[in-house]
Amino acid sequence: MKYDICIVGSGAGGSPIAYELSNAGYSVVVLEKGKNYTEKEFSKDELGVSRRDMFTPPLKEQKHIINEYSQSGEFTRYDGAESGWNFWNGSMVGGSSNLMSGYFHRMKPRDFKLRSSYGKIRGANVVDWAINYEELEPYYEKVERVVGVSGSVVKHKFAEPRSTKSFPYPALQTNGVTKWFDKACLELGFVSIPTPRAVLSQSANKRDACYYSNFCGSYGCASGAKGSARAALLQQCSAEVITDAFVYKLDSKDSKVTGAHYYDENLRSHTISASIFVLSAQAIESSRLLLNSKNKEFPNGLANSSGEVGKNLIFSAGGSGSGRFVFDKLTQTQQTELMQTGLFFNRSLQDWYDYDDGCRKYKGGTIDFLFEHQNIISRVNKELYDEDGNIMWGDKLAKKIEKSLKTSRVLTFEVFNDWLPTDNCNVSVDDKQTDKYGVPVGVINLSSHPHDLEVGEYLAKKAVEVLEEMGAVEIDYSISASPPPNLVAGGCRFGNDATNSVLDKNCKAHDLDNLYVSDASFMPTGGSVPYTWTIYANSFRVADIIKGRLSK
Amino acid sequence: MISLNKRRTFLKVGFFSSAIVFTNGCDILGVEKLSDTIKVVQNDLFPKAKELHINISKYMNIIFQHSRVDETDKEFIKNGIKWLNEEAVKMFEVPYTKLSKSKRQEVLEGIAKYRWGENWIDNMMRYIFEAMLGDPLYSGNNEEAGWKWLGFKGGNPRPKELYL
Repeated sequence: MKYDICIVGSGAGGSPIAYELSNAGYSVVVLEKGKNYTEKEFSKDELGVSRRDMFTPPLKEQKHIINEYSQSGEFTRYDGAESGWNFWNGSMVGGSSNLMSGYFHRMKPRDFKLRSSYGKIRGANVVDWAINYEELEPYYEKVERVVGVSGSVVKHKFAEPRSTKSFPYPALQTNGVTKWFDKACLELGFVSIPTPRAVLSQSANKRDACYYSNFCGSYGCASGAKGSARAALLQQCSAEVITDAFVYKLDSKDSKVTGAHYYDENLRSHTISASIFVLSAQAIESSRLLLNSKNKEFPNGLANSSGEVGKNLIFSAGGSGSGRFVFDKLTQTQQTELMQTGLFFNRSLQDWYDYDDGCRKYKGGTIDFLFEHQNIISRVNKELYDEDGNIMWGDKLAKKIEKSLKTSRVLTFEVFNDWLPTDNCNVSVDDKQTDKYGVPVGVINLSSHPHDLEVGEYLAKKAVEVLEEMGAVEIDYSISASPPPNLVAGGCRFGNDATNSVLDKNCKAHDLDNLYVSDASFMPTGGSVPYTWTIYANSFRVADIIKGRLSK
Repeated sequence: MISLNKRRTFLKVGFFSSAIVFTNGCDILGVEKLSDTIKVVQNDLFPKAKELHINISKYMNIIFQHSRVDETDKEFIKNGIKWLNEEAVKMFEVPYTKLSKSKRQEVLEGIAKYRWGENWIDNMMRYIFEAMLGDPLYSGNNEEAGWKWLGFKGGNPRPKELYL
């Protein structure tokens, strides 16, 4: 059988296309490496989910090689199976969107024009996007309705223009401590923004509302409230999903992709034919598949006549920090408010999305505030060492744990700023190491630009001001150059010039007539927000483009 | 195939009840059952667990059989027991389990000064906390005693089957 559309990868990048095209009557097949889970199978099993990594592949079977570059250009090589360092985020139907926290921010108009708005930065390959905010706005709005975004719109200096007045779903319920936060921001002259969430506050679209389980990020959602690609899209359409299907090669002939080869769980090979192929295996794996699909016509990798496949891999720069609220400093009412579990914190700051340090204008970013994850084992593990860094055990440790967990609570923050694209940050494939399928593993070359750390520091200090104003103690933060594996983009830049980009502005490969890449690979820069909303929105945009093409 | 599986299960269980031979480099200083020393040392490291009737041994059996715990990690637990006993013999001339409570603490303080010892205690503590605070389905957290100790309620829905 020849399908109209074959999609490789079932996450946020591919599912909007599966949803839109199957609803429009086209035959769609989605190939997913992982298994399918339904709401009924998502439990809050910390041992399985967080301690034993049940949603990602065993590293002895599938790994990456990681080369970490220093500023002087030397690198240290890490074998993922030996070091445990990995970039897997969720091999399952719906991908890592099942496990996201769903902190949803739109990119802002200036994010689409980073190069022309802020000028050249030495050592960074910054370019403007091939589309502007206005072209993506209708799709951000569509995601709000179809995937489901809850929140309330607040006016602030950097608020992005909206085509609708408010979010389709009211903001989720919040913990009493958010009032302390709002008050502190008022004192400091900062604008407290209720963080929009891809979590339904009311039942809708055949999905149940959030039940405030207290275990959102890292866990699958048992009510379907979280806007995963699976719950919001794949379970709501007739697209065929083949699980345990690892796509190892795409064939091409005369500038057309002709087939996708995959291995099933028994390592038997199958081939899918389709009129249009969409690649959305998450940034690193999409580049890896193209590089592993070289043929006579494309000796350097499929769609790679420019040599740009795998280049300019980006992450989200920034880091995280925290402060602790202790009972000693609180009234009884405040203590009760602090320990109330289940409800969200959901507050963000974007006052410094753009700032001036007196010398020049900087692109800043976003700070999200949230309570420390409720995972009890990991919270207790954090108590293992005393103030001098000595390991503890016995009754002394038991008392420390009891005091810390029962009479205090940690509020954390995460800083998101641009990870500038550089020459040494990219994906290639290893010439010796293979995975359990016998396919060359991806090599991730990591390098960060010092500018990223400077901006991250600036933002973290602002977050610290808020925590201080709120009366937190043990305030600490870490801005680092280590990349968050769940916030990855780039590798197949889109652009108007086929000599220095992989995809055109429609996310179709310049080199091939029927290949689209619709995960975060297309992004030349990432904005200073988590990527998922933008990935969804862009995929809905590409879906419209493909629909238009097929209807002709 | 069935008998092979049984044999395999036996071997895996055997890891936990296997004998540990410790030496001073030349001579054999003693032989201890892995599970015996683990039981004693885990109680020394966190007596609260025993107080709450947490079944750490049963949980450790799961760890020794777990597909997602590396063999090197399992070996490290075993080697640590061997080295702990060697340290006990070095300090007091008898294996760890034969020492008084206070002397066992002295041995623990002794090994905590070594890099391996600190790492090993760190690992053991993490397994103890997993047993105490994981879902009761995993057989350690007896009637949610670990959770109740810290006023923790556990997330819903709870797992229906073990992830091994």
